[in-house]
Amino acid sequence: MRYLFILALVVLLGCSNDSDPAADKASFTRIYDNSKFNTTYFPIDIKQTPDGGYLILGGRSVEGSDFSGIYLLKVDAFGGFESETEIDEAYVNPIGPLFLSGSNYYFFCMTPVGFQTQLFQVDANGTPGTPIMVGQSYPLSANMDGSNFLLLTYDNVDKESIISVIAPSGTVSQSKSFSIGAGADIVIEEAIDNHFLRMGKQIPFLVGKAGSAFYFNGFYNYTLALAFTNLVADEPQGIVNGSQDKGGVSQAVPLDGGKFALARFNFGDNYFLPSATINSSGISSSSELGGNPLPELAPNAKVAILRTTINARKIVIYASDTRSKQIALFGYDEATGALVGSKYLGFSNPFEIASLTSTADGGLIVCGTTYVAGRFTRICLFKLSQEELTEAFKGF
Amino acid sequence: MKILSLALALLISTACLGQFKKKGNNTLPKQRPTQQNKFLEKQWWLGFKAGTNLAQAKPIKSYTVMVPTNYSEQLNAKSYDSFLKTGSQATLEATFYYKGFSFSVQPTYRHTRFTYFNQYRWYNNDNSAETLELRYDQEQKLDFADFPFFIKYDILRDKLRPYVQVGIVYSMLINANKAVTISGTDYASGGTNQFANETIIVGAKDLFENYWSLAAGVGLDYNLGNVRVVLEGTYIKGMSNITNTKNRFGNDRLAGIGDAQDDLDLNNIVISAGVLFPMRFLSSSFKTLDR
Repeated sequence: MRYLFILALVVLLGCSNDSDPAADKASFTRIYDNSKFNTTYFPIDIKQTPDGGYLILGGRSVEGSDFSGIYLLKVDAFGGFESETEIDEAYVNPIGPLFLSGSNYYFFCMTPVGFQTQLFQVDANGTPGTPIMVGQSYPLSANMDGSNFLLLTYDNVDKESIISVIAPSGTVSQSKSFSIGAGADIVIEEAIDNHFLRMGKQIPFLVGKAGSAFYFNGFYNYTLALAFTNLVADEPQGIVNGSQDKGGVSQAVPLDGGKFALARFNFGDNYFLPSATINSSGISSSSELGGNPLPELAPNAKVAILRTTINARKIVIYASDTRSKQIALFGYDEATGALVGSKYLGFSNPFEIASLTSTADGGLIVCGTTYVAGRFTRICLFKLSQEELTEAFKGF
Repeated sequence: MKILSLALALLISTACLGQFKKKGNNTLPKQRPTQQNKFLEKQWWLGFKAGTNLAQAKPIKSYTVMVPTNYSEQLNAKSYDSFLKTGSQATLEATFYYKGFSFSVQPTYRHTRFTYFNQYRWYNNDNSAETLELRYDQEQKLDFADFPFFIKYDILRDKLRPYVQVGIVYSMLINANKAVTISGTDYASGGTNQFANETIIVGAKDLFENYWSLAAGVGLDYNLGNVRVVLEGTYIKGMSNITNTKNRFGNDRLAGIGDAQDDLDLNNIVISAGVLFPMRFLSSSFKTLDR
């Protein structure tokens, strides 16, 4: 009896549900608040740093300027604030993604006067270096190709979309221009202006490489088009036409076997194509591609796509904005294109997707915009643990 | 506080072990026991109690969704009430009395409440009219099934019997919900606009866990015929975190408005009144409690 009592006491003493740092890192929600009434902060991209923390590239409102300023936020592995940097207003309109090359991170932006593209280097603590002048005007989208960068820019004088290969030194090694259309429609120019000023719809500009072909999603021949080019020929080898700025591809990520994880929009409607075959050597229309309709998404919703592995299964995660102001995650089996699960993030206040990436612990970090108190534009993070991902995308 | 907890644990252990070792030496008067007195050295009691309780949630570690980047975290810190909100409880009691000591199990249904609030402020240094102040008032309601084991000692053994008791309690979570009221003052919309949003009520069972406690208290028994009337007050000190550490951000509705569950110890002051009935009689006409 005596031993039973002692045993019970030891068991109870051992039952203390103490704080769990591993759980605190694995799963959290954070909103980074600033007390400034009239300043907005929004995220563009996020990368996990070697210390387990996260580096966030964002934008901010700048008093007296129509363009967005540059904002860098460094947080620790628990999502705790470490540092922030508001880069000088001589540099504006940062574009993602945030690239990791060597031990440094890179992103493109432009000057507010002359609109010339700049390449910024940032260390893992979020400290920026001196920018390098690249020279192309109006940067729209960027990507990596080995150690080089791919950049899509807009020439507002010659009305051209330009795709370029750029070395980390800022040197342009290859470049090709494509006309947005002779005497381009006022609608197209207005769409581009609104995109830069963040006054209206954000156009889903893209650039990348699939196999040996370069591709860009930008304006070509009077419409938003996913165009494939070898950077030599004057005309693209393949074109998936949209419909001016009202329809087209909203996200494209190359998969194995020449396929794409694709999202498209058409006059407000949204469609996901988790295993799409695209005609990269002919002319087609994005509306012919079909896809899974997503009426719950906001009209012309922004879409981010991530290739990842969950429970030893290759999954493509689509992240987008719902009409109910949540961030929706949809998981598809990469091999079959079958839906394996969904998860919704955020409630009460509005939430919008910016970017998502896999983390070293097998989890996922989702970076978005929220409107604190329904008013103040701020950056938010959702960290999902490996267990949460496995549960959400376990299949049916 | 840890020393107090340790002392409490030690007291319980000593009392229990002391009982196990006891061999004949007790506190009864040293007169030769009669048959009746010998009979009255032991008794079983069954009964029920009910009453009210006051809760105090003590943060072990504070968590937040809202991370300030240009002001101190302390400005948004949560402020918890302390033994302010009343709850209620109902208890079944089974007690074995032996020579002044009683060993009691008292399964209890306990509803307990506590509150906290925090505040936020956004402003423009260049224009004082551009200011918004918000206050988040959060009320937490928790239902537990408590399984306490108490050792009581009767200080006097007359009709009025004051006693002290110590015990250990294991509490199983039955249900939890949270009500959040957001109120504030908006100075920017053209005047001093004071507003309060509709209260958000959410189920919050996933945010909490079972926990255990140590308890100490005083009480008064009053023998009334064959019934014993009880009035007691007990302080229950939570010894383990009541928060489910894996789910503190798990409720999207709460996380969306910036709330994360802190790690908490839950302490209670429990006041109960009730009746106990003896289970052993010498004969149908004998009233044990008349003695």
